[in-house]
This record gives sequence, structure tokens and C-alpha cells, in this order.
Amino acid sequence: MDKFIKVTDVTKTYWSEDGKTETKVVLPLSLTIAEGEMVMFLGPSGCGKTTLMRIIGGLEKQDQGSITLAGDLLAGPDRRRGMVFQSYSSFPWLRVRDNIKFGTRYRKDVSAAEKEEITDHYMDMVGLFAYSDFYTNRISGGMRQRVAIARTLASSPDILLMDEPFGALDAQTREHLQFQLMDINKSEKKTTIFVTHDVEEAILLADRVVIFSARPARVVKEIDVNAVIPAEDRRNNTADMQKFFSLRNEILKIIRAEYRQTMETI
Amino acid sequence: MIKSLFVFRDALPRKTEIILGIFGFIFFLTIWHMTASSGVIRPEFLPTPFAVAQAFVRLFTERDFASDIIVSVGRVWFAFLLSVVIAVPLGLMMSTYRAVGAILEPFIDFLRYLPVPALVPLLVIWFGVGETSKIAVLWMGTFFQLILLIADDTKRVPTEYIESGHTLGASNGQIMRHIIIPAALPNMIDNLRITLGWCWTYLIIAEIVAANSGIGHMIWSLRRFVKTPEVMAGIIAIGIIGLLTDQAFRFAHARLFSYQRR
Ligand SMILES: Nc1ncnc2c1ncn2[C@@H]1O[C@H](COP(=O)(O)OP(=O)(O)OP(=O)(O)O)[C@@H](O)[C@H]1O
Ligand SMILES: [Mg+2]
Repeated sequence: MDKFIKVTDVTKTYWSEDGKTETKVVLPLSLTIAEGEMVMFLGPSGCGKTTLMRIIGGLEKQDQGSITLAGDLLAGPDRRRGMVFQSYSSFPWLRVRDNIKFGTRYRKDVSAAEKEEITDHYMDMVGLFAYSDFYTNRISGGMRQRVAIARTLASSPDILLMDEPFGALDAQTREHLQFQLMDINKSEKKTTIFVTHDVEEAILLADRVVIFSARPARVVKEIDVNAVIPAEDRRNNTADMQKFFSLRNEILKIIRAEYRQTMETI
Repeated sequence: MIKSLFVFRDALPRKTEIILGIFGFIFFLTIWHMTASSGVIRPEFLPTPFAVAQAFVRLFTERDFASDIIVSVGRVWFAFLLSVVIAVPLGLMMSTYRAVGAILEPFIDFLRYLPVPALVPLLVIWFGVGETSKIAVLWMGTFFQLILLIADDTKRVPTEYIESGHTLGASNGQIMRHIIIPAALPNMIDNLRITLGWCWTYLIIAEIVAANSGIGHMIWSLRRFVKTPEVMAGIIAIGIIGLLTDQAFRFAHARLFSYQRR
């Protein structure tokens, strides 16, 4: 397997303010992700998914271990790892188009004219042309999240990190964005790590699902979803529902067991 | 109709708000006039609004009040801008580099609790009764407050904005210029407006203690002759200048940051 992203023996411990109590959040954890792969992170609440994601994004520093991207050792955030946050991180002082264009602002690999084209391309992809001149506090939450996704894509990261990006949205908007993301994924083949609590969302979008244990996070199971339900079927809404539900139940069972452990240790 | 004015937390049309504001003024003036002309209070203590209005005109025609206003406004703006050009960069640094914050915060917190009027004698000993001491009073009164307000405004910029900047490839300087400052600017401008208001308080103190020009000086010297209408007219002049400045700031704020309107 192509090891595009390689997480090796990463650990992370948080210390309380007074330095007395420690919270082990990530145990020696290793993980590899192939180029173009869409990996969904699932796991009980508070197990360390966000932490691991932020470590991969360079926004948090691991205590030990290393992360490489296409063979380069990573430290600190940069444009190679684009992040989409759960809360709406679009800039309120910029209009929709300018927000998306902001993604190209620090790119040196493209000309000014190309930046305009790239902006238009992603404006179109997320279907926001009609809202080009709107400030982001006058568009809906779902649109704002689309702005954030388009802005990140416009910066052309090697990998896309999404932490519950649809978590705060209503069911319809959520579904719409899920299908949009599948389209984007199909056309761009962007390596993506996506954290979610929604098992069905995970199955729908994933090439592979990674299930984490209760805190401290370690990988309890990895499932190659493509081997169970072809991506094409999921995209076209023609997936075998029997397989879909049995996979969902299998995943839920694992998460429930881990969740119970969380409750017991508290 | 009255009922439609009192809907819980509801907005009112702009025109209605202005009418109500004017109504408030007229109401206040009427009460004042009725009290003053009833004879219960001697006119040396409470002249009628008309006497004050006449005194207002006299200030300009007989006493060259306009140049006092220019002097005072000049002092306020000079000291204010001097505060701003130092406090804004320092405030940004304080919130950006923890070490700068750790060094400055306790010190500024101490200084900012010193009552500025109590510093006036000291400043007069240091700088004499010239312009320098008055500017120093105004500066002391605003600088330390402003620096903390600016630091606070920038600290409150959501982490997601800054982290987004990092992952979009911005350098630290670019994040400061392209993200932190634009994000914090509306609150900063608001705080500048509030700080400018304090400047006027300290100005009058400074001009009363040591000055031979300015609105404060004028008011204080007229007091000696119990020219109550002129004293009140002077106070009202400060109010009007304050109101106009405040409105100008608000207007500019609304124009500059129209995106905040929902
Ligand atoms: N900055 C921090 N300081 C101390 N503890 C932290 C910090 N950030 C996270 N933690 C702790 O680390 C643990 C893992 O947090 P994390 O946010 O990674 O979990 P998560 O899997 O993303 O949870 P959720 O599914 O609810 O989003 C939690 O117990 C949390 O309290
Ligand atoms: Mg999380």
C-alpha cells in the first residue's frame, strides 16, 4: 500500500493546570493513509480524534512519534494540510467570493489570473455563485461551511482534514453536502481525513473507516468499506441496504463497547 | 400605537428612534424650564434654558469661545492620537507574544488604577503648566486603558481564524495583517471611540488646574463671577462636541463594518 501519510508511534498527554494529573489522550498510535484515500475517523466521544487530527494538521504538537507526508517529516501547520473546522471559520469581513479566494492568497505556484479561475472553479463546485457578493453572516450555516470547504480546497492542500464539518447542520443540508463532498472526492481525489460521530455518514463517504478505542485512543478496527459496498453504488444511492445496515451495526457495536468503557473509567 | 413602541426587544424604525430621541430632549428641557422659571430655585443657581442659550451665543460673540474650543479639541486629539499610535502596536504585541504580555500586564494594571487627577500635581511639577503637562494628563488617562483594551480585542479573535490562516499558508506577519487586525478592527474602533470620550473628562481636569486657554479654563474662570448661564453653556458645548464626535465614529463604524449588520 502506498504510504502517503505515515503516523508512527504518536503519543500525546495533556497535563492539568497544576501539572498534577495527566490525561493520556493518544497512546503510541500508528496509521498509514494512501494518496487519494478518504478515511473516516470514528470513536467514542472524547477519545482523542480531534487531538490526533490536529496533530496531523500541525496545530498540536505530539509528545513522541513522527508524522510524514510523502516522505517529509512534518512539524507545524502549513498549506499542505488544509483544515475544515466544525465551527464556521469563514471570515465575516470578506464576501463569499473573497473568502474562497483567500484560499489562493498565499499560493506561489499559480498566477493572479489563475487564482481567479481557481476561485471560480470552487465557487461553482460548491454552488455559491449566486451568493458571490454576500457577507458570510448573511448566508446560512450550511453555505458557510461550503465556503470554508471551498476556501480550503482553493489553497490546494495535499490532504484535507475535516473535523465534524457537518456536525452542526440539519439533516437535509448535511445530506446535500455529503453528496457534494462525494462529487468533489470523485473529481479531485483529495486525500481526506474526516472525523464524524455519524456512522452512516462514515460508511457513505469512506474508502476506509478507522475506529478508535476509548481514551487513550488506539486503533481498534479498520474497515475497507470499498470491499463491502462499492463507492459507485453509494454515490448513486444503489447500495445494497442489507450490507449497509449490517456494516453499520457492526461498527456501532464496537463503538458502544468502547463507549461503555469510557463511562466505566469515569 | 403606543403599544407598538413597547414590543419586548423589538427593533424600531430609524425615524421613530430619532423622534423619540428628540422627544427625550424636549421633555428634559421643559422640566428644566418649568423648574427654573417657577422661582423656587434662584437664577444664579439654575438659569432658564433661554438664558443659557443666550449665554451660549455671548460666549462666541464676546469671549471668542471658538478659539477655546479649537484649543481643547486640538489637545484632546493630539493626546488621543499619541495614545493610539503607541497603544495599538503594543497591545497587538502583548496579545501575540506571551512574554510581552507577562512583562507589561501587571505593571499596566497597577498604573491604570492610579487616579489620573491625583497625578496632575506631579505632572505639573515635572512639566510645568504648559501644553506638555496637559497632554501628559490626557495621555496617562487613556494610554494604559487603551493598551489593555486593544490586547483584549486581539485576544478575542477566534482561534479558528488564526489556525485557518496557518493551514492556508500564511506567515505570522500575514496572519497579523490579513486576519487578526481585520477581525479585531470593529471592536478596536469602538474602544477608540470610548477612550476618546474619557479624554474629555481628563481634559477639563487638566484645564481647570493649569491652563490659560481651553473650554475648561473658560468655564472655571467664569465660575468666579457666578456666571452660571455661561458655565452651563460651556458644559453643554462639551456635551455637543462629544455627541458629534461619537456620532461621527458610529457613522464611520457602520459604514466601514457594514458586514456586521444582519
Ligand atoms: N487542550 C487540552 N488540554 C487538556 N485536555 C485536553 C485538551 N484538548 C483535549 N483534551 C482532552 O483530551 C481528550 C480528547 O479530546 P478530543 O477533543 O481529541 O476528543 P474527540 O475524540 O475529538 O471527542 P469528540 O468526539 O467529543 O469531539 C478529552 O478528554 C479532552 O478533555
Ligand atoms: Mg472532536
